[in-house]
Amino acid sequence: MLEILQNYASLFLIGAYPNGPLGGLAMTLILSVLGLTLSFPIAVLIGLAHMSSFGWLRFIAQWWTRVIRGIPLLLIIFWAYFCVPLIVGGEVSGFTTVVCAIVVYESAFLAQVVRAGLEGLPKGQTEAARSIGLTWMQSMRFVRLPQALTNMIPSIVNQFVSTIKATSLAYVIGVPELTYSAAQVNTMTLTKPLEIYLVLAGFYFVLCFSISRFAGLLELRIGGKPRGMA
Amino acid sequence: MLKLENIDKWYGDYHALKTVNADIKKGEVVVVCGPSGSGKSTLIRTITRLEEIQAGRILFEDKDIYGRAVDVNRLRARVGFVFQSFNLFQNMSVRDNLTLGPVKVLGISRDEANARAQELLVKVGLEKKIDAMPANLSGGQQQRVAIARALAMQPALMLFDEPTSALDPEMVSEVLQVMQALARDGMTMLIVSHEMGFAREVSSRVWFMDNGELLEDAAPDDFFCNPQHPRARKFLQDVVRPHDRIKAPMAA
Repeated sequence: MLEILQNYASLFLIGAYPNGPLGGLAMTLILSVLGLTLSFPIAVLIGLAHMSSFGWLRFIAQWWTRVIRGIPLLLIIFWAYFCVPLIVGGEVSGFTTVVCAIVVYESAFLAQVVRAGLEGLPKGQTEAARSIGLTWMQSMRFVRLPQALTNMIPSIVNQFVSTIKATSLAYVIGVPELTYSAAQVNTMTLTKPLEIYLVLAGFYFVLCFSISRFAGLLELRIGGKPRGMA
Repeated sequence: MLKLENIDKWYGDYHALKTVNADIKKGEVVVVCGPSGSGKSTLIRTITRLEEIQAGRILFEDKDIYGRAVDVNRLRARVGFVFQSFNLFQNMSVRDNLTLGPVKVLGISRDEANARAQELLVKVGLEKKIDAMPANLSGGQQQRVAIARALAMQPALMLFDEPTSALDPEMVSEVLQVMQALARDGMTMLIVSHEMGFAREVSSRVWFMDNGELLEDAAPDDFFCNPQHPRARKFLQDVVRPHDRIKAPMAA
């Protein structure tokens, strides 16, 4: 297994670059980070809609979340693959497709994280904010979201780990991320599939494990500070 | 300044407030007392619409607070509220807690808001703590900052919902002193409290509530020496502790 690592390290880590598009682990990270970053604002909006006093807004938010959480990501990727070019009206790269799919998929999960973060705050914070005359929006922006975000960080990091593993599905539509690199190595060597896929698992494990440990440290650090309690 | 007319409130089937009628004039300091569950906190919370009422009218400065023309945020800017659990904004310093309202709601400049914050902290005796975070303050200090935060909005009326009930005994007097100074300065105040000594000395009137009803509305001397309603008499007897002469208003 070590020879596989030695011979094909750069293929695993950065794909065909610089002789081709960036791929491998780098691509996996870019897909995950981009996907999460773009989906977060949408998730905040959906999370807020969940808590809205307008029935229709709550209805849309709830069904968005239910439908997306009930469908496999693979299906969402396929849907994106066929629908996004239709919406945009032209050719769309596999990369864009997968980013769109992740944005949609994560918006539903992160919306729940946002909602939990906000509902976990003591009611007194909202009451105090409204009692000095702040509007709902102002109380959300200056008092509630900042405090909720601190509490949400461990959950968001967990979603990040989940997303990194989910990007392996991009392989199915030919996006050159880490799993695709492993498949390429396999096509080249043909005789060592077990070792290659063990190495692949190792890469994912190291990445996800490190991030989970980081989340654990973050939780300790946050847990040490009082969370919105007077 | 404040008129409560036939206020009725239900929590589902539970009748929390039963036809409450009362009024407060400018400059008065009213203390609401009564046993737990009598509806005191509920009543005070209805004034800034933290709780909804099902019947009756609340008139603040001669305007129905549920009227179409009334902006609830403007109302809350004119009525300061001090909570039992302080509720300081944990993500900001004392300075920011005090300047957030004036800057964002009243639209005054940051410099003016800072100056006002400084003045108010001197008033409550905490000028050195202007850049402290709420988590690093004691309960008594947090409550004094909470009072300053409410005062920063320059309200016409101050509401206090059991301001000292969550404090350790040694911190209660520092908060009561601030409230007493405020009363002396002529602020109109409505205070829900169990501090009978404070009520006797500082209030202009005492309201006694039991079981959702406002049973007695009298001057403090009349109320403590000669309570009319039998339940008020029982309450005062229960409140007096024989070995606590300071808190024994009737043992004068």
